[in-house]
Amino acid sequence: MRSVIEASPDEDVCILDTEASPEHLARGTGRHADAMLAVVEPYYKSLETGRRMAVLGRDLGLSRVSLVANKIRDDRDLEAVQEFAGKHELELAGVIPFDEALPGAERAGAAPLDFAPQARAVQAIGELAGTVCK
Amino acid sequence: MKLVIAGKGGSGKTSISGTMARLLARSGRRVLAIDGDSNPNLALTLGIPIERMNDLPTLSRDLLRRTADGQELTRTLAEVCESHSLTGPDGVSLLVMAHPQHAGTG
Repeated sequence: MRSVIEASPDEDVCILDTEASPEHLARGTGRHADAMLAVVEPYYKSLETGRRMAVLGRDLGLSRVSLVANKIRDDRDLEAVQEFAGKHELELAGVIPFDEALPGAERAGAAPLDFAPQARAVQAIGELAGTVCK
Repeated sequence: MKLVIAGKGGSGKTSISGTMARLLARSGRRVLAIDGDSNPNLALTLGIPIERMNDLPTLSRDLLRRTADGQELTRTLAEVCESHSLTGPDGVSLLVMAHPQHAGTG
């Protein structure tokens, strides 16, 4: 897989949705990438997995490694992620609110963007895309 | 820009990957989305019907050559995309590394 990433031309955007396991990343999948977003939910096990992935991303030499907070329901959720990110000196690149539209799209077998283009989560993903791919 | 989106299963990384890919394509970029999960479902969040996925050949080992540094493609990425990718809504290209029954070939 890393050979595919390496070969992709720089003027394009190449998005790799990768295996959940840190072991997979450790094998070098991400080596030729420019940036990594580790998607985390606001509970300890998810945050800890994200932190381990971020550490691996840094070890692989990626120039930008950030967390993205997903399924954020309220200020308490957001504070939990912010506190964790701060403690481990990780950038928080984006915050995606919890949004029924996403499981709804999945149940309907549709893309979130087609199912609920105005959904708050979809808007937030758009902002994230703008931040990461300036 | 080569971006890796990682996360625990169920974290929503695939919804984020697919939606970002579509929105970036709408903003005028050429986007290649790669599904590197052994249980691939990026197609769904890109809006590609699952029936089309079933016809898609995955990257087989004959496309990869072992090198001292790991592996490299035996053909150019453009050639690989020509034969192995699907184009979905907004013009996003999708390349799938493994089907569930062939987990690990990526």
